[in-house]
Amino acid sequence: MPKIIIDNHQIECRDGIPVLQAALEAGFDVPHYCYHPSLSVVASCRLCLMEMKMPHPKTQEMVWSPKLVPSCQTPVRDGMEVRFKSEAVTKNQKACMEFFLLNHPLDCPVCDQAGECYLQDYSYHFGDAESRMVDQKLVNPKKDIGPGTLLYQDRCVMCTRCVRFTAEISGTHELCMVHRGSRTEIDVFPGLPLDNPLQGNVVDVCPVGSMLDKDFLFKRRVWELSGTPSICPGCATGCSIRIDHVDNRVYRLKPRYSPKVNDRWMCDEGRFGFKYVHEPKRISSPIVRRGLERTTPSWEQLPEIVRFRFQKHVSGNGADRVAAMLSPFMACEEAWLLIRFIRGVAPEAALAMGPVPAEGEDQHFPVGAAGQAVKFTIFAEKCPNRRGIEMLLRAVGGATLTFEEFVEQSGKGEFSAAWVVGGYPKPWVEKDTAKIAANIELLVVQDIFDSGLVAGAAIVLPARAWVEREGSFVSAAGLVQPFERAIATPDGGRHDGQYLYEIAGYEGLFSAERVREMMAESISAFREIYEAPVLPAHTH
Amino acid sequence: MYESRGGYRAVRKALKMTPDEVVAEVKKANLRGRGGAGFPAGVKWGFLPKDRTTTLLCVNADESEPPTFSNRVLMEDDPHQLLEGTIITGYATQAQVAYIYMRVEFHEQFHILQKAIDEAYAAGYLGKKIFGSDYSLECYLHRGAGAYVCGEETGLIESLEGRRGWPRIKPPFPAVEGAFRRPTVVNNVETLSCVPHIIERGADWFAGIGPPHSTGPKLFCISGPVSKPGCYEAAMEITVGELIERDDMGGGMLPGRKVKAVFPGGVSMGALTADELDMKMDFVDPGNYGLLGLGTAAAMVVDQDTDMRMVLRNVARFFGTESCGQCTHCREGTAWMYRIATRMEEGAGRIEDLDILLETARNMGMMPGLSICGLPDGATFPIETIVKKFRSELEEAIRAQAPGRVEAVLSAVN
Repeated sequence: MPKIIIDNHQIECRDGIPVLQAALEAGFDVPHYCYHPSLSVVASCRLCLMEMKMPHPKTQEMVWSPKLVPSCQTPVRDGMEVRFKSEAVTKNQKACMEFFLLNHPLDCPVCDQAGECYLQDYSYHFGDAESRMVDQKLVNPKKDIGPGTLLYQDRCVMCTRCVRFTAEISGTHELCMVHRGSRTEIDVFPGLPLDNPLQGNVVDVCPVGSMLDKDFLFKRRVWELSGTPSICPGCATGCSIRIDHVDNRVYRLKPRYSPKVNDRWMCDEGRFGFKYVHEPKRISSPIVRRGLERTTPSWEQLPEIVRFRFQKHVSGNGADRVAAMLSPFMACEEAWLLIRFIRGVAPEAALAMGPVPAEGEDQHFPVGAAGQAVKFTIFAEKCPNRRGIEMLLRAVGGATLTFEEFVEQSGKGEFSAAWVVGGYPKPWVEKDTAKIAANIELLVVQDIFDSGLVAGAAIVLPARAWVEREGSFVSAAGLVQPFERAIATPDGGRHDGQYLYEIAGYEGLFSAERVREMMAESISAFREIYEAPVLPAHTH
Repeated sequence: MYESRGGYRAVRKALKMTPDEVVAEVKKANLRGRGGAGFPAGVKWGFLPKDRTTTLLCVNADESEPPTFSNRVLMEDDPHQLLEGTIITGYATQAQVAYIYMRVEFHEQFHILQKAIDEAYAAGYLGKKIFGSDYSLECYLHRGAGAYVCGEETGLIESLEGRRGWPRIKPPFPAVEGAFRRPTVVNNVETLSCVPHIIERGADWFAGIGPPHSTGPKLFCISGPVSKPGCYEAAMEITVGELIERDDMGGGMLPGRKVKAVFPGGVSMGALTADELDMKMDFVDPGNYGLLGLGTAAAMVVDQDTDMRMVLRNVARFFGTESCGQCTHCREGTAWMYRIATRMEEGAGRIEDLDILLETARNMGMMPGLSICGLPDGATFPIETIVKKFRSELEEAIRAQAPGRVEAVLSAVN
C-alpha cells in the first residue's frame, strides 16, 4: 500500500487510485465536480488542483511541480507529497467558484437540489458573498430531455458526469455536449430522448440542480427528508438504497454505494417502484371471519385468536393437512417466524413458496458492449428474496412443495388449513389460485391488496410494504442484506415481523437483528450478513 | 514543376539513410516547431516508444490563429514541399499513415493539396513501397469542422477521430497514445516544410541561419495598415520594426498611419506598444516584452486611429467563442472578459473593470496554466498586455464616457 503525505498527514492508500480519491477516503474535504469514482476521469472542472511533489521526468528526483496538478488525474505513488491547503490551491478554488457562479442563477429557493447541492456547499466554503459580474448573465435554456428528467442548463457546471454515465454505464449514449465555450450545453439528439432503464442515475450524479427528477420535482425540500438505509425489493439484484421519507410518506429512493452489488447505481424500475406503498386500497387491518360474521380484532387479541384457531383446527382435523405458502417478498426473519409457528402447531405441515414473478430477460449494462465488463444488472426475477426463502426451506427440511403443487393439492382439498403469504406489489392471484379458498377450511391470507383469495379467507392479515418492515433479503449473489424500517404502517398498526413474532409465541418487540441471531444458531448462512460501507459525507 | 526545381531529391536521400539518422539530423538542426510553442521537432519524435508497432503522423494544417496565413501560403504555392516533408518525417518516425488535418475554411487549398496528394500517389511517392524503397506511407487529407481549439494537438486528434474537439488530459502524451490510441506525432505544416531542406542541405546549413536558439528560415506574416501586407521569409533575427519598415517586407506604414500597437505573434501572444518595435522575432526575445512567445510569427499592426477598446473587445470575442467549454477557467473566464470588453466598447466601462480583467486573466492561469490545454494562456496574454500597456488610454476613454452611462447600462441589466 503506497503511503502519501497530504498537508503533513501521512496516509496509507489503496494502490492505483487517484490522489483525490485517496484524500477523500482519508477524510479530506476536497472540492470536486467532474471526478466520479465510477466514471472515467476528464479533469475538466479544475477544482481539485493541488500542489504536488512528483518525480522529475528527467532526473526522477522528487520536486514540487511548478503547476497545480489535477489530483483526480494523478495516481498515488509511494512517497508522494501533496499540499491541498496552500495559498495557491485556495486561490484557485476561489477563482473557480467565481467562475462557476458567474452565470449561475440565484434560484436556490426554488431549486430541488438546494440542501444537497455541491455548488451551494462549495460557494459557502470558497466563494464570495457578492458577485463581481455586473453584466447580463448568460441564460442557457431549460429543456425536457426525456420522460423522467428535466435539464436546467442554466444551473449546469459542465462536469459532464451525466454524459459519461450514458456513455460508460448505461451504454445508451443519449446525452452529448453541443455548442462551445460558455454556451456549451448538455443535450440529447433530436428525436432521441434520455430514455433508458437507468436514466434516473443522471440526476444522482449531477452535483448541482441541473438534472432534475420529474417525479420528485417540487415535492419536498430535501432537508426535510430523513434517509433510511434499505434494500430495493424490485428485483433479485438487491441494490442498496436509501429511502427518503418524511411524515410517514416515501418521496424518493436513492442508490447507496455497494461495491459488491450495485456500485452507485439503481434502475428506474426500482427507483420509482415504491408508489404502491401509498395506494389507498391497501389492506390496513386484520379481519377475522366466522360464517357471515366479520370482525376486526385488536392487535393485542390477534396472536391469541390465530393460535387458538390453528390449534383447535389441528386437534380436530389432524396435523398432516396443514400447509403454509411463503412469499419471496417476505424477509428471511418473517418467514422463519411463520415456519416456527406452523411447524410448532403442525410438525408435519407442508411448506411452499409463492410464485416468483419474472419479466423478460436479465438486462445487463452497458448495453451493446459485448465482451465488456458488466457494470449493472436488472434481473428478470422481480422479487427480492427467492434465495432467502429457498435457503430457509432447505434448512428446515420436512415436506416442501412447489407453488404449482401447492395450488393443485389445495384444489383437491388435501389441506384443511393453510397460511398463504402474498405481499406482491402487483396482482398475483390467478383464477386457479383463488379457487383454493373454497377447499381450505381455515385459510389465513397475509397480503397487501385485496384479491379473490383474500375474499375467501377466514383470517386476513395486512402484509406491509418493505419500507414499513425490517429484516433481510438474500440477493442474487447470495448476500444476506439487512434493511431497516423507514415509515410506520398506514394504520399505525403492527407490521409483519411484529405480529408474526407474537403469533410464534415471543413476547415484546420484534427486532430483526435478534431474530437473525436466533436463526443463525441453527442456520449458518445467517451468521454472515453484508452491509454496504458508509461513505464519507463529502463524497458525491 | 516542383521536381524540376530539385523537389523530392531530399526524400530520396532520406530513404537511403536510417530513420534514426534522419531524426539525428533534424535534432542537430535544432528545428523548433513552427506551430506556436516552438518545441524541437526532433525531440518530439524521440518521445515515441521504442517498441511501438504502429505510428501515426498528423500534419497540423488547422491554421486558425488570427492573423496567420503562412501555412496557407505554403499549401497554396508549394504543396509538394509539404508532402515531401511529410514523407521524410513519416520515414523518420516510421509512420504508416499520415493525416493532414486541414481547417474547413481552406476551400481552395483543400483542392490544391488533394490534387498534389493524388499526383504523389500516381508518381509512386505515396502509397506502397514509395520510391522503390521498403517504406510505405498512406496519406489522407482530413477537413476539420471549424474550431480554433482543434489546432491544439490533442484537440486535433479527438476531432480527427470523429469526436468533439475537446483537448485531452495528458499524460498519456500523443507520442505514447495519440490518435486511435496509437503513438502519434503532430507537427505543423511549416515545420514539416523545413524538413526537406534540412535533409538536402544538411543540419549545419539550417543551424547556420539565425541565432542558435532559433535556427532556420521562418515565415513571417504581416497585416494591418502597412504598405505591403503579406508573408515573408527571413531569419529569426529581424525585429518587429524591420518587418514593418523594410522595403522587401511590410514596406512601412500606409501614408498618414502610425503604429500604435503590434501583435507580433498572432493575437494570442499579446501586444507590443510602438516603443517596443525593437523586439526580435525569435523564440526567446518575446518573453522579455511580456509576451507569451513567438507564436505563429504573424504580426498584426494596429494604427493610431484604432480605439484599443475595440481591439480588446475583438480579441476577447475571439477567445470567448473559441474556448471549447471543457475547463472551468477558460469557459467562464473568456466569456466574462468578452462581456466586460463589450460593455467598455459601448462606453459603459468602469475603472475597476480593468482590474477585474487583469485579475481574471491571472485567475484563468497564465503560464503555468491551470487548464487542460494552452488556450486560456493564449486568451489571457493579449488581454493582460493590452490592459497593462495601454491602460492610460483605456482609463482616459472611460473617463471621457457620458456621465451616467455606466449606471444606465447596469441598471438595465439588474
